[in-house]
Amino acid sequence: MKILISGGAKNGKSMFAQECAKKLSEPGHLWYLATMEPHDDEDYARIARHRNERAGWGFGTAEWGRDIEAHIDEADRKGTYLVDSVTALLTNEMFGGMSGEINFAAPDKTASGLIAFSETAENVVFVSDNIYCDAAFYDEWTEAFRSGLAAVDRRLAEVCDVVAEFCCGQIIYYKGAGLL
Amino acid sequence: MELIIGGAYQGKTEYAKAAFGLNDGDIFVCDKDGNVDFGKRCISHIERFSFWCVEHGIEPADYFFEHAENAENLIVISDDISCGVVPIDKTERAWREANGRLLIRLSKESQHVTRVFCGLSQRLK
Repeated sequence: MKILISGGAKNGKSMFAQECAKKLSEPGHLWYLATMEPHDDEDYARIARHRNERAGWGFGTAEWGRDIEAHIDEADRKGTYLVDSVTALLTNEMFGGMSGEINFAAPDKTASGLIAFSETAENVVFVSDNIYCDAAFYDEWTEAFRSGLAAVDRRLAEVCDVVAEFCCGQIIYYKGAGLL
Repeated sequence: MELIIGGAYQGKTEYAKAAFGLNDGDIFVCDKDGNVDFGKRCISHIERFSFWCVEHGIEPADYFFEHAENAENLIVISDDISCGVVPIDKTERAWREANGRLLIRLSKESQHVTRVFCGLSQRLK
């Protein structure tokens, strides 16, 4: 089963995604795929907070911040993976190069890598972010990131069995409402 | 009238093309100027038209219904610009609100209101 969960910040996405992954998983095959590459104290504090929230759930942790396709061989074939988040993964792929340049090919690579990965593991729950509904005119890089993340989300939505958005803790199903 | 809304890059135009059998020639894509061809079947990026209105002290909802003679047959597409931080710029602030007022009017007049999210549609009305 493949699931895509999106929505605004602090709307209940992660907790629901954790519950989904837990419910779908077989004992000993539950994984948290952490994609954020920490850069400062704020990032380490966020990671510690997330670890606390997951404590006791039985998650193993995989820390793959980029090149998902290169990790497919390591994937647990029976595993249920919670990918948190698509947004962080694309950030690393798009802006994480040493050149200080933006990688415009990153969205396509990220989507293909995640889809190939999702076909290898038993279950995958993707968490992404709804960053598309504000009134602002952005610079070229920010706009490229917004359109890039949307392109990844849409490709994932195509292959996912369930697609849902969270709004103030409530779930809105776009696909697969009866499956969970 | 049909109203299609959703965040940027979510696949609204593709949805409209598939749902109503439109081709590129049926769609007028607004720019931030007052040039809107209300004779087309579909008007997309109506939020850009709203921006031009606000810059010129015009209420977009009033202008729209004064000029769109064939409003009941139009398919209108708008980016949802309502969910971010309140813009620091006065014009952008007024734009966000004026576009909201326009969408409420359009929604009221529309037979269907559809929201597109990650390429998937949801009927709101």
